[in-house]
Amino acid sequence: MLIKKRMKVKLFILITIPFLVVLTGCGEFKDIDKMVFVSMIGIDETDDPEKPYKIILKLYVPTSSFRQNPTPEYTYLSKNGKTLAETISILESHLDKELDFGHSKLIVVGEKILQNDNYKEILDFLIRRPDIQMISYFAVGRPNAEEIIKFLPAGETALQPTIFNYFDNNGAESSYIISTFLFDFRRRLKEEGIDPILPIVEMNEPKTHFIINKSIVLADNRPPYELDTDKTLLFKTLSMNAKTIFFAVKREREYFVSRIDSIKSKYNVNVENNKASIKIEMKLAGVITESKNTLSSKELSRYSKMLDEEMKEKVSEFIHEMKREGYDPFGFGLKYYAHTLPKNRMTHEEWLEAYKNADVEVVVKSNLKSTGSIQ
Amino acid sequence: MSRFYYYLVMINMIANIISAVPTILLRYRNDGAVLSLIVGIILGLVIVIVYTKFFNAFPGKTFPELLVQTTSKWFYYPLLFFMAVMWFIAGISTLITYSFLLIRYLTPDIPIMLIGLTLILSIIFGCFMKTDRVLYTIEIVFVINFPIIIFIIIKAYTSKNLNWDFIREAMLHVVQAPNIHAVSSSIFLFLGVVNLVIFNRFFTQKQNFGLKQIIVLVFIAIATTFTTYFIPIGFHGSETVGELIYPWIATSDSMRMRYFVIERLVYVFLLLYLSMAFLSILIHWHVAVELFKYIFKLEKMKFKGINIGYIILIVFFTVSSLYIIVSLTEYQLFQYSKYFFNIAVVNFFAMIFLFIYIIRRMKGANKKANES
Repeated sequence: MLIKKRMKVKLFILITIPFLVVLTGCGEFKDIDKMVFVSMIGIDETDDPEKPYKIILKLYVPTSSFRQNPTPEYTYLSKNGKTLAETISILESHLDKELDFGHSKLIVVGEKILQNDNYKEILDFLIRRPDIQMISYFAVGRPNAEEIIKFLPAGETALQPTIFNYFDNNGAESSYIISTFLFDFRRRLKEEGIDPILPIVEMNEPKTHFIINKSIVLADNRPPYELDTDKTLLFKTLSMNAKTIFFAVKREREYFVSRIDSIKSKYNVNVENNKASIKIEMKLAGVITESKNTLSSKELSRYSKMLDEEMKEKVSEFIHEMKREGYDPFGFGLKYYAHTLPKNRMTHEEWLEAYKNADVEVVVKSNLKSTGSIQ
Repeated sequence: MSRFYYYLVMINMIANIISAVPTILLRYRNDGAVLSLIVGIILGLVIVIVYTKFFNAFPGKTFPELLVQTTSKWFYYPLLFFMAVMWFIAGISTLITYSFLLIRYLTPDIPIMLIGLTLILSIIFGCFMKTDRVLYTIEIVFVINFPIIIFIIIKAYTSKNLNWDFIREAMLHVVQAPNIHAVSSSIFLFLGVVNLVIFNRFFTQKQNFGLKQIIVLVFIAIATTFTTYFIPIGFHGSETVGELIYPWIATSDSMRMRYFVIERLVYVFLLLYLSMAFLSILIHWHVAVELFKYIFKLEKMKFKGINIGYIILIVFFTVSSLYIIVSLTEYQLFQYSKYFFNIAVVNFFAMIFLFIYIIRRMKGANKKANES
């Protein structure tokens, strides 16, 4: 019995060792030195109708250690082509390694591409390819994608492209930066009742760093609509993505800036007899950080009232503008669909018409807790 | 109930997140999938409760043993053969889905034949283990992976990018009449309990199955069904989610773990579900192997002391699943899975009547035994 067991063990070892040895020489698996990692993808439109796309890939150049090359090094590949997949496969012949898109975290499209519907084709390619992350950021480059991709801001190290930090709320937590993930862009684009919004990436004049504080709203059959810095802030506030915002109030001889660090907003959409009414409730809390005049702690409730009025004015103005132009990045349409049974729903066109003529009611309740360190 | 019973029920529910079930359900999102889910939960629970009660009445006895005692040969051989094939296909369907996922997402350079072969080789020998050992394997793998899966699910529910408006919108489709394919694929989530036909061998003592256990099962059922169907909708929109071939992979790709070792959750998810798929296939194929063994009396097929019966079965399993993996397209996979779910559900509902018959015959048999 014992001998039989020993035989079994021997046989087991004899069989497993060849298996393990064979496994190491797997011919189909590519080692890391045979791959090159894409850090960003840029897509521009060209004037040539035969080859409408220009693809720019920013590739990491491997360095042996951070101390040897502290300055960032990238190589770029770019090519014009008719379709994205074909162009990328041709780009692969410009390299000795295999392109790996799994680590690319940003997709920049040129502003020009948004003017026509080409971005839908691009989106199709990006989603269809399984190795491109759905959590990569999608942004619009101004003046075009190529300049944004090839731009190295001052102070960038070899560790990581600085532009990622703008979007991932890890380094910069600015309330002016909209970050849109690829999957978010897709669902907003394709669903009815909510429109996509994308950040615009620019460079400052002497070209030392990026500026990201504007955004662009897209809608079907309409040209893209740009939101300036203030409106971008308001959008972020309303969609509850901003952590803290600074908001100036200028009323009744007072002029102060409040720092609002707790923002809650709620939308309600009601439709009766094809007449839509949108109600927005906001709850804010914060402190005053700057004032032209001396303030009094006693009057905090008065200041809160002033903040209410100011915010209400700004927000209703913004919403009125958006609905007049027919853009809906907030998802009011979706809110409406979310509490109407499918058979009672208006068609998308009817809803857009109702949205344009909707009543807007904004209720702001703010609570300023302090005037800061001084009165 | 013994904890092993819950493993059997839950693994089938959890592992089906990556199989064809959510895809089929989401395909019918505008044709009554939501009501089908509710109908599916109710009917599924009926199956779970009836099967558990039935096998609980005969502790330690497998279904083939019961059939031999109560029915005649011409009846039970075809039935057992049919069940074995069913369970073999159930395993294959998970296997193929997972091989497709691996080649699509994790290892696009490795040929699909090799992926399939690696998976099969790691599973097939496990299927020939003793039933209790299979259960112990299940426990170890399950206990290691389950908490992380729960963590990912919680992560999904608390994600800022989960838009509840999409979910509410999709829920309102509840007014539409249920669809047969959607109902059967949501019932399929509950068919883990059918594994008791063999695994009942392990539960030799009469288990306590009362209201408390049923409430736990109801809770698990609602939670898994809701998660399977609505989380992808919340991440990808109520209309566009239908375009996704693997809704749950896309969903896990849309989650981001800012401070985790790997930012992209899809790889963690794929690896976790690799082990879940392993367990699911292991259970299904263990049942299939045991049934085949019973039908063809494989233990007795010996040639010069080597048990060729087992070898024939291993070769048959490997070759046929490899052939199917290589030849099937994605569309066919979902189409055939749909039909398979329909047949499985109808079959296992019909077996409830057989159970009633067996219970009556067993009573008679016991009486006779007592008299003599």
